[in-house]
Amino acid sequence: MNCRSEVLEVTVEARQIDEAMLALLHTILLHRSTGKFHYKKEGTYSIGTVGTADSDCDFIDFTFVRVSSEELDRVIRKAVCEFKDGLNNSGSDGMGQISLEFYQKKKSRWPFSDECIPWEVWTIKVNVVNLANEQERQICREKVGEKLGEKVINVVEVINRNEYLPKMPTQSEVDNVFDTSLKDVQPYLYKITYQITDSLGTSVSTTMRRLIKDTLAL
Amino acid sequence: MAHFDTEYQRLEASYSDSPPGEENLLMHVAEGAKSHWHHIENLDLFFQRISLYLIKNGFTCMLLGELFELVYLLFVVCFTVFLANCVDYDVLFANKFVNHTDSSKVTLPDALIPMDVCSARIRDNGFVIFVLIISGVFWLHRLVKFFYNVCCYWEIRSFYKNALKMSMVRRTNLPYATWQEVQARIIEIQKEHQICIHKKELTELDIYHRILRFKNYMVVAMVNKSLLPVRFRLPVLGEVVFFTRGLKYNFELIFFWGPGSLFENEWSLKSEYKRGGNRLELADRLASRILWIGIANLLLCPVILVWQILYAFFSYTEVIKREPGSLGARCWSLYGRCYLRHFNELDHELMSRLSKGYKASSKYMNCFLSPLLTVVAKNIAFFAGSLLAVLIALTIYDEDVLAVEHVLSSITLLGVCITICRSFIPDKHMVFCPEQLLRVILAHIHYMPDHWQGNAHRYETRDQFSQLFQYKAVSVFILEELLSPVVTPIILIFCLRRKSLEIIDFFRNFTVEVIGVGDTCSFAQMDIRQHGHPAWMSEGKTEASIYQQAEDGKTELSLMHFAITNPHWQPPQETTHFISQLKERVHREAAGAPSETHPLSLSESEPRSLVANLLAGPSSLASVHFGCDNSLINHAVAGSDGASALRSLSPVSSSLHLRGSLSMAQRASGFTGKAMRTDAHTVSSGSSAWEGQLTSMVLSEYASTEMSIHALYIHESRGELSRHTWHRRESDESSDSIPDEVRSDHNPQSKSFPRSHTFPTVVSSPSATSTSANSSKPKGQEEEKSQSQRRHSGPATVRVARVPMGGWAVDGQAAPRHHEAVPEESSEDEMPPHIHKVSTLNAIDITALLACAGPQ
Repeated sequence: MNCRSEVLEVTVEARQIDEAMLALLHTILLHRSTGKFHYKKEGTYSIGTVGTADSDCDFIDFTFVRVSSEELDRVIRKAVCEFKDGLNNSGSDGMGQISLEFYQKKKSRWPFSDECIPWEVWTIKVNVVNLANEQERQICREKVGEKLGEKVINVVEVINRNEYLPKMPTQSEVDNVFDTSLKDVQPYLYKITYQITDSLGTSVSTTMRRLIKDTLAL
Repeated sequence: MAHFDTEYQRLEASYSDSPPGEENLLMHVAEGAKSHWHHIENLDLFFQRISLYLIKNGFTCMLLGELFELVYLLFVVCFTVFLANCVDYDVLFANKFVNHTDSSKVTLPDALIPMDVCSARIRDNGFVIFVLIISGVFWLHRLVKFFYNVCCYWEIRSFYKNALKMSMVRRTNLPYATWQEVQARIIEIQKEHQICIHKKELTELDIYHRILRFKNYMVVAMVNKSLLPVRFRLPVLGEVVFFTRGLKYNFELIFFWGPGSLFENEWSLKSEYKRGGNRLELADRLASRILWIGIANLLLCPVILVWQILYAFFSYTEVIKREPGSLGARCWSLYGRCYLRHFNELDHELMSRLSKGYKASSKYMNCFLSPLLTVVAKNIAFFAGSLLAVLIALTIYDEDVLAVEHVLSSITLLGVCITICRSFIPDKHMVFCPEQLLRVILAHIHYMPDHWQGNAHRYETRDQFSQLFQYKAVSVFILEELLSPVVTPIILIFCLRRKSLEIIDFFRNFTVEVIGVGDTCSFAQMDIRQHGHPAWMSEGKTEASIYQQAEDGKTELSLMHFAITNPHWQPPQETTHFISQLKERVHREAAGAPSETHPLSLSESEPRSLVANLLAGPSSLASVHFGCDNSLINHAVAGSDGASALRSLSPVSSSLHLRGSLSMAQRASGFTGKAMRTDAHTVSSGSSAWEGQLTSMVLSEYASTEMSIHALYIHESRGELSRHTWHRRESDESSDSIPDEVRSDHNPQSKSFPRSHTFPTVVSSPSATSTSANSSKPKGQEEEKSQSQRRHSGPATVRVARVPMGGWAVDGQAAPRHHEAVPEESSEDEMPPHIHKVSTLNAIDITALLACAGPQ
C-alpha cells in the first residue's frame, strides 16, 4: 500500500483502556489538525487558531495535551467507547487494535465513487491484563503512565520526520484533504477503525471486495 | 449576580476565528493539487498499466484490441451454435435435392434452416442452452471488465499526456518511446508529485519490483529453484516439461491473489507466513486449498476443454490452411520463457531478447533433422509435387476439373503434404556446427545448463534445448489446448500438494520487505552477497548457503542485465564493485587483445579471450585498425558526425565503448566522478556532444549487445572455472581460478584444454596439421575424454568430425570475403544464408554477434 504505517503497542488494565487510547489518539490528532482555513481569494487563505487543553487521566499517572475541541473529543470518545465495549464483551484474551487512518479523497470520473486513499495509518495494539491486587494496580498505574509518555515522544518523532503530507488544498478541494465538519478545528480527514483480536484477519467483506477488484483488474 | 455597567462591551459579532484586521494577517498560499497524480494508491497496478500501455502502443490500439476480443468471443459462440443447429448439411453435401424452379444451382440460403425451426431446435436442446448461459455470463463479465479497463487506460493516457508530457499523437504513428525513456520520466515525476509517498525519489529497481513482484517470485525464482512441479519423468517419454498457461494461472491463483492466498494484498505477504512457528499448520492449509482448487479445475475441465477446442479451431484453421509451414515452426515454450527470464526483466525485454535468438535456435534445431526422414520426405515431396502439378495444370487447362468430386480437397491436401515434407528437408547450404550455433544462442538467451557446453552435438542436449524451444504445434495445440485442462488438476492435486511445505518455506525465507515497495522476492534484489553462486564470478563475495544460491548464475546475470539496461541505476556499494569489476575485465579483454596480438594469431592469447576475439574480428573487418581502445574512442569523438561514424564502426566494440563512456559521463555529471575506467575518461568531455543524437533507442540496442558479451563472458569464465577445478583435481596443479591469473600461470596443455571444447574458434592457424581441435592435443585425459565422448555419442560422432573440417575447408576463401561483407553492417541480417554457413567457425560467431547488434 502506498501509505506509511506506524504501530504502537501498549499493555494496560481493563479500566485504563479508554484513557490510554484517548491519550494516544488525541496526541496524534493534535499534530494532525490545523485551525480552520479562511480563504480570501482562490489560492490564499489564513489559518484560524487552535486551542489546546490538558487532560488528566483518572486511572493512569498521565496528563496529555489535546485540541480543545469538544466536538472532536466527542467523536473520538465515542469510537474509543465502542472499542472498549467490544474488547470487554469479546471474552477472549483481550487483544485488540484500534487504528487511526488519515486519508485523502480523490475525485473519480462518473462510474466510480470517490476513492479514499490513506497516506498514514497509526495502529495501536492493545493488550489487556488482569491484575490481582491493589498494589499491582498502583504499579501498573505508574508504569502505563511512563509507557504512554514514551509513546507520545515516539509519535512526535515520527511526525517531525518531514515526510509526505497532502499538499495544502485550494478552496474547492479542501474537503478532499481536511475534515471541515467541525466548527473550531480542522483535522486531516481521518477514520478510526478497530478490530478485536487480530487472529480474525481480514474480514469477509474486504476479501470479497478484493476478489471483485482483482477479477476486474488485468 | 449584579450587572455592572462598564465601558467594556461584548462584541456583537458572533465568535469567529478570523479577527477583523485582515490586512495584518499571515496569509498562506494554497499549493493545491497541481495534478491528481500525487499519492497513487496502488502503485503496482499503476506501473503495470503504464508499461502495458507502452507495450501495447497506446490507447487506441488497446481499445480496439479489447473491443475486438469481445466481438470475437461473441462471434465464436454464436457461430458455433449456428453451425450446429441452423445448417442443413444434407443440402450442403448435396445428399438432398432442392427443388428450384428457376435454376439448378444450390445457393447458400437454401442450406439454412428457417429461423423459427432453428430457434425451436435451440430451445429444445438443454446442452446448448447451458453453453449459451455460461458463455453469456462469461461475456458479461468480460464486458464489465472491458469498461473498467477502458476507464483505467483513459487515466493512464492522461497520465502520459499531462504528467509525463509524452504526446499520444506521435505514439500512434511512431511507437518508438522506449521503456527506459518512460521510466526516466516517471522517476522525474516522482520528485515533483510524489507518486510514492515513502520515498523522495524512486529508483529503477523500485519500479521493476512493483511491476514484476509476482513474476519475480514465481516465474523466475520458483522455477529457478525448481520448486514448481513442471518437470516429470514419464515411463516412455523420459523427462517431460509440462507448463502451460492454464497451469500458470492456477499457480498464481493459489499463491498470489486467489481467495485465501499467501498474499494479503498486492504488496504484502500475510504476516503468519513470515513467521516460522506454525509452518506445518500453514502447509496443511495450503495443501487443502490446492486440493480444492484442483477439484474445481477438474469439475470445470469439460467446459474449459470445449472452449479451448473451439478457440483453437477458429483461430488456427485459417492459419494452417494459409501457411501450413507454421506447423513445423518452433517457438519459445512457456517453460523456456520462465527458465530464460532474468530477475527484473519486463515481458517486452524478454521477448525481444528471445526473438533475437530465434533464428540461431531454429537453425540449431534444424541441424538435427534425421537423414532418414529427409530421404523419405524428399521422395514423398516429389510424388506429391508431381501429382499436384498435374492437377494444377489440368485445372488451368479447363476449370471444370475443379468440379470433379474431391479435386479441390486433394489439391489442398497435397499442398499441405508438400509443405510438411519440406520442413524435414534441411537447407542445402546447412553446415553442421552446433557448438557455434549454441554459443550464438547463448549470446541472446543468456542461460544454459553447464553440461551443454561441449556437448552441443549430442541428442540429449538437443532434446533438452527443445524443451525450451518447442514446435508450435506441440506447445500450442496439443499441450495448451487439449492436454492442459485435463492434466492441470492432476498436477495440482498430486504434485503441487506434496510441495506445500517447501512452498511455505520458500515464501518465508525469500521474502524481504523493502520500504516503499512492500514484500518482494529477495532474489529480485539481485544481491550477490545473499544469493550469489560462487561458481559464477561471485566467489569470495557471496555468503549464500546452497539453499540460498540462485541456480545457473541467475543472480549474477540478472544483475548485469539490469545494470546494463538501466545505466542510471545506482546499485549498492558492493554490487557496484562487482559490476565495475566485471565490466573492467570485459573491457580489458576487448582492449587488450587487438593491441597484443594480431587478430589472426589469437591462439597465442587466452582461451577465454573469445570476447576479445569477437571484438577484434568485426572491428578489423570494418577496416578500422585501431591499436588500442583509446584510438577508437578518439576516432569516434573526433568524427564530425559522431553517431554515424560510430555506427559504421563495428557495432560490438563501439557499443561497449560508447555505452561505457556514456554511462561514465552520466556518472561524472551525477556525482563525484568515480574513476572506474581510465580509458573512458578521455571521452567524458566529448560524450555530451553526441549524447543527444543517440536516442535511448540506439542505446538500448547496443545494450543488448553489451549484455550478450557479458553473458558469454560470464558463462565462459564459469565454464573455465569448473574445468579448472576439475583439472586441479586431476593433476594437482595449484592455480587460481580467476581467469586473470590463469593467463600467466598455466602450462600450454592446461591452457589449450578448455579451448578444445568451447572455443574451436580461437584455434586459428588453418593449417592442415591441426585439422581438429581435438586431435591437436592428444594428451592425457583430454584424449580419453574425447574418445569416450565419441563412444557415447553414437551416431553424432560422424558429424563431430565434420565440424572442424567443414569449417577449415572454406576458411581460406572465406576470410577475405568478410572484409567486404561487413561494412554495410546494417544489412547483415539480410545477408544471404550461405555466408553464415560457409564461413569459418570464427566468422559464425562474429556474424552472429553482428546480427545481434544490427537492427533486428
